[in-house]
Amino acid sequence: MLTRRTLLTASLAGAAALGPGLPPRPAHAGTPEQAAAFIEQTGKDLTGVVNGSAAKADKQTQLKSIVDRAVDVDEVARFCLGRYWRTAPPDQQQQYLALFHQVLLKNITGKLGEYQGVTFVVGRSVVRDDSVSVATVVTRPGVAPANVEWVVSNATGAPRIVDVVAEGTSLRLTQRSDYASYLAHNNNSVPALLDAMKQQLGQPG
Amino acid sequence: MRMGAVKNVVLLASGLALAGLGGCATPPPASDPDAVAEFNQANDPLEPTNRVLYEVNTGLDTLVLRPLALGYTWVLPQFVRTGVHNVLNNLDSPVLLANDMLQTKPRRAGDTLMRFVINTTFGLGGIFDVATDWGYPYHDAGFGQTMALWGVPEGPYLFLPILGPGSPRDTSGYGVDVVLDPLTWVGLNNRTVATAGYIRYGVTLLDVRAGLFDSLDKATAQALDPYATERSLYRQHRDSEIEAVRADTRATTPAWFAAPATH
Repeated sequence: MLTRRTLLTASLAGAAALGPGLPPRPAHAGTPEQAAAFIEQTGKDLTGVVNGSAAKADKQTQLKSIVDRAVDVDEVARFCLGRYWRTAPPDQQQQYLALFHQVLLKNITGKLGEYQGVTFVVGRSVVRDDSVSVATVVTRPGVAPANVEWVVSNATGAPRIVDVVAEGTSLRLTQRSDYASYLAHNNNSVPALLDAMKQQLGQPG
Repeated sequence: MRMGAVKNVVLLASGLALAGLGGCATPPPASDPDAVAEFNQANDPLEPTNRVLYEVNTGLDTLVLRPLALGYTWVLPQFVRTGVHNVLNNLDSPVLLANDMLQTKPRRAGDTLMRFVINTTFGLGGIFDVATDWGYPYHDAGFGQTMALWGVPEGPYLFLPILGPGSPRDTSGYGVDVVLDPLTWVGLNNRTVATAGYIRYGVTLLDVRAGLFDSLDKATAQALDPYATERSLYRQHRDSEIEAVRADTRATTPAWFAAPATH
């Protein structure tokens, strides 16, 4: 933990020392301004759908298209499988990607109702390693405002969300430790994980 | 600090449980470096014991705490629960202040002190959190956090019923917070005061539990391994809190104090 922290502080300090306009910016990062504008737009699209008056099924379809457009789902999926991704045969990889996509969408659209009335304000954005972290404050009625950071990468050539950090907890790190622990308790078997994901989706294993 | 209030009741029970279950996790073979790295990163050598206690906690929670907290949110409207939450936060002020000072963070100590003064008076005994609107937002502070800033390592993961996730550092920090709390020492021989103390513990439990419906419950419901998910969430949240304190290097000079001209 200490190493990670030190590294992070060092890289932040480095970024601060370089200041704006100096060249050695990692290839995939894009500028903080681009990332902030991208999050502003994506956030508007999302809140527009969530707070809109469309029927639930229509909202789900609209959310799906926003997620497909704004989130680098394959990259998140690979990250979450961690070391098991490298050793899994291609057919399992493909099956995993497809399932991960569906689970992610189910988790997002399942929360539709709770996010009614949500608003957000975009704050500072900072280059961190090969991505940009955009800070926002998300406010929902009756719930304390939450600090949410959106990690944006340009690895695909266009800005895409690769992580969401809510109040200091990273969605993809949490998901990775969930999968890692499940695999460790199921003989490191990726097919067992795939079955469990199918069950999550309510499909027969 | 919040959960520290219930520490008295629980520590004995969990101590007994620990004595009965001496399970240790078996490290993966050294021939699998990835697995070894994962094992070390999880830093959970007591995992089998922790998992048993996690199950005990889940059982207690399902049978007792969750229904009570659901009843609490069902009976009392949101604004009453917010008031209760604010009062409990305000009662924690002495412990927060002590820890802010032990962390050598004068601006945070100032925030806590101003919050206590403003909310106790204008906030009518802490019911209304006026101070946040006036530029003194709430922050949590506990002795576990303080020890972290002093460089005390966290130690292995520890899951205790009711107290929830922790570590030797943070769980013993709860204990110190209870000792630091002046309310622990007030009216030790007075039945009414003692009863008020237990009511505070009980309401704190309800308040904390009700606050988890939205976050933790959802996260663990979506997880394949809720235990590991909670462990990860706990550690990340803890680290980010500690980082936030460390990064709080606001100057002690107030904004209205004219800085000396620099030529």
